[in-house]
Amino acid sequence: MDESLLVRKIDWGTVLDHIPAWSAEQVIRLLNLKHLRENPDVSLIVLQNVPSRRLGRKDIVKLYHYMVAKDEAGILALIFPTITINYIRDWKVEKEKPGIPERIVGRIKCPETSCITNLKREPAVPRFEVRQKHGVIQCMYCDTLLEIAKIPEYLI
Amino acid sequence: MSGSRAESKTTLPTKGLISCRDLSLSEVSEIFGLAERLVRGEVRLSSSLLGKKVALVFAEPSTRTFQSFYLAAKTLGAEAVSIADPTVSSMAKGESLYDTLKMLELYGASCIVLRHPARGAARFASESVSIPVINAGSGSQEHPTQALIDVFTIRRKRGRVDGLKIGMLGDLRYSRTIPSLCHLLSLYSGVEIYFMAPQILQVRREVEMYLEERGVQFAKIDNSEEMRRVMPVLDVLYVTRIQKERFPDPTEYEKVRGYYVVDSTTLSYLRDDVGIMHPLPRVDELSPEIDHAPNAWYFEQAGNGLSIRIALLHLILGGE
Repeated sequence: MDESLLVRKIDWGTVLDHIPAWSAEQVIRLLNLKHLRENPDVSLIVLQNVPSRRLGRKDIVKLYHYMVAKDEAGILALIFPTITINYIRDWKVEKEKPGIPERIVGRIKCPETSCITNLKREPAVPRFEVRQKHGVIQCMYCDTLLEIAKIPEYLI
Repeated sequence: MSGSRAESKTTLPTKGLISCRDLSLSEVSEIFGLAERLVRGEVRLSSSLLGKKVALVFAEPSTRTFQSFYLAAKTLGAEAVSIADPTVSSMAKGESLYDTLKMLELYGASCIVLRHPARGAARFASESVSIPVINAGSGSQEHPTQALIDVFTIRRKRGRVDGLKIGMLGDLRYSRTIPSLCHLLSLYSGVEIYFMAPQILQVRREVEMYLEERGVQFAKIDNSEEMRRVMPVLDVLYVTRIQKERFPDPTEYEKVRGYYVVDSTTLSYLRDDVGIMHPLPRVDELSPEIDHAPNAWYFEQAGNGLSIRIALLHLILGGE
């Protein structure tokens, strides 16, 4: 079944394509929902487990009137390497394969409970270095490793 | 003390010392060079930090580290300002580390020596103030000045560090001295490390990754048969205490309590010249029956703490 039969095309916004099947929920959590909700014109459309030539089955997230920021795109690409991002402006589609960020700041909680970034009164913003070769990110304060696959569990 | 004055020019980072990963071999050699001259009484530094204030912030218990930093500051002529008992400071009222450090900076502290139970506390502190911060223990993460003492002791006793085979026995997971010691040893050529501990106390993955990236050979050994096979090849046996206070689950501690004791039987597996080291304090893992063995280095190791910390404060604070 072609997804175009399920949801009409959008003229302005972002389409996150080639998300592994049944992972759209994690993708939405990774997006800055606060920003999404601040804009009353934003619509969020989720397609799950639709047929895909490349992946067999996939999820798609369409964000009408919302442009996913580059840093958000980078985190998404880190966790879901198959993801492609289409920015749509006046029906014109720009496909993008986002680059992997070197650092992630303020989006992920350190899994180490004794890390300084987990002490509530300390103004320490969690900061991670991406160590993709090892499949982990590393806290730049306490050195603790977090598997890339487990990032969604620690989103702020 | 008599003799020439020490050189005050240094390449040491003026931000202080947060991790041994931040040190180059030439910087380590500079610290060791000055510490060696101090041990031999060849250098006089009695007023090199006159007019400076060294703030000692110890939010965790300490004997050796606190006392040696305090004495080091005094020896150099600096004023030592201490928060050694957080229960009598505003930290007990819930004041943040950040606010405490900012106040000390505003009161004119020249540097902060910090011990704190949180991992990453020293890195955070160094970003929070503009004066140098010296990490005197950041939870179970690091203890870089202890590592300097350890390697300085090895170098003095053995005459070299390159090519040595070093066994690390005990709580390698929660001991903060182990990561720092590994970082520092990675600066030397041909060092081989044997991590000897049960699985739940084995060295953390980030330490392994660091050693792999630096090309340091290491092996993890978790059974006593294999340990006995490795013991005869060691040049140094570094023993650590099980860090009861850092176990998230007390039942896990009970499982490993008393897992190992280094005593005269252990010595029988080792070569006669193998140095036994321990960062102290010890509990039951190191029997007093070997205290008088010629290869029991741990008290001399602790004694070297003062010279290393004098050298470090002098070099970081640009002592005259």
